[in-house]
Amino acid sequence: MPIKKKFPSDEVEQRVDWAPRIEPKEEAIDLRATLEKIKNKTGIIGYILRASTSASVDLKDPSKIIDYAVLSAAAVESGENLSNAFNLGKMSSIVLEGKEVKMLSLSIGEQQLCVFMEKNVDHNLIYKDLMGSM
Amino acid sequence: MSQEMYSVALKSTLKEIKNIYPDINWSFILMNNGIVIAGDEQTTEPTIDEAAGSFQTLAEKASTIGGLDNLLIDAEKGKVYVSCINDMYLIAGLNKRADLHYFRNITQVIFPTIIKVLDRLNLPSMTPTPPKPASFTPHILSKPISSAQITDKTEETEAEEFEQPEQLGQPEQLRQPEQLGQPEQPEQPERSEPLEAEAEEEESPKKLSTLPSQQLIVDRFGGLLMRSDSVQVDEEILKRWSELLEVEEIHEVEIETFNGKTARFKTKVITDSKLQGRGLIRIPEKSCQTLEIKRGELVRVKPAMSEE
Repeated sequence: MPIKKKFPSDEVEQRVDWAPRIEPKEEAIDLRATLEKIKNKTGIIGYILRASTSASVDLKDPSKIIDYAVLSAAAVESGENLSNAFNLGKMSSIVLEGKEVKMLSLSIGEQQLCVFMEKNVDHNLIYKDLMGSM
Repeated sequence: MSQEMYSVALKSTLKEIKNIYPDINWSFILMNNGIVIAGDEQTTEPTIDEAAGSFQTLAEKASTIGGLDNLLIDAEKGKVYVSCINDMYLIAGLNKRADLHYFRNITQVIFPTIIKVLDRLNLPSMTPTPPKPASFTPHILSKPISSAQITDKTEETEAEEFEQPEQLGQPEQLRQPEQLGQPEQPEQPERSEPLEAEAEEEESPKKLSTLPSQQLIVDRFGGLLMRSDSVQVDEEILKRWSELLEVEEIHEVEIETFNGKTARFKTKVITDSKLQGRGLIRIPEKSCQTLEIKRGELVRVKPAMSEE
């Protein structure tokens, strides 16, 4: 007897035309949770997460909000300019080290995340944590 | 030895480094005053100028984290690595798979050594020349800088001119031949110059420390008869600033937004008693749109001193 192969029928998602499709928000939740964990690590100063129309800021010292926001925006702009000038393609991350503080900046989807930390913190571990959440 | 010689020496150093480390695609050296002192032959000047201008803006902003030490930009087709060496920045484009550790080891040893040797050979070569007007003016002009900032910068460069010979080497050894010919005369102007420099230095920190700034919450206001060139600030804040700066009134303030946009406005006092003492700054609607700020956002406000 020949064995009949069963082809899996394409599961068509049941949708009705009057109901909008609800996008899963797991990614955003995961990122928030990861950022919350990262923020509690020793040496982490805080973060700035920018979307196209909004930004969420969590810094230990609120008086530095503007300074760090300006710096992060300048770093991203400068990175993009350098990348364009030398044809390097899309930027994946920026690590900016100052005399006292370090900043890790990366794009997550359409958002731009900048994590500020003390200089002795291993930014590679932070990067891995963030990548792991995605 | 002139700055040209200095540039030639650094240029050949870049070339030699590239020979031993082929992962370098391009490189150039930028002085902290914005001048490109040595560059790759393969990279075109406009490209270097564009990159240098962009980087210079970032280096200025990095003062908030104690100045820029290192920068690594990881992109799709390669990396850009910037390293601060003495008063210069080495900016290099590397292959995607370049060994950064190895690159760092080379540059952090070779460059400081070369610079040290050049400094010892001739001290006056390090006197910074005035910044190139063409390369960096667009970046400076795009954002208004208060006259106070401009004066601070000029004072700094003047101070550097006086300071550098003392910092960089052993001036006594080099001055000895001059002193043999004219033993007493050179000493007098030398002493008077540092004294002037010291006096300027004493003045400049005062100005810097007394130039206050405050974060205020944005409140919009509009109306037909409203002037769009003035903002409303708490009377207390303006009084405090005028006392600190020892001026009668604060006529203008500079606003810096979250996105780094700056603008200057004339000042008026908040007249609405309900809005007084709340840490608000009332900005005209049109100006809010120009600055891309919304109600409730934070901005940094500082007095802008006129060029009187």
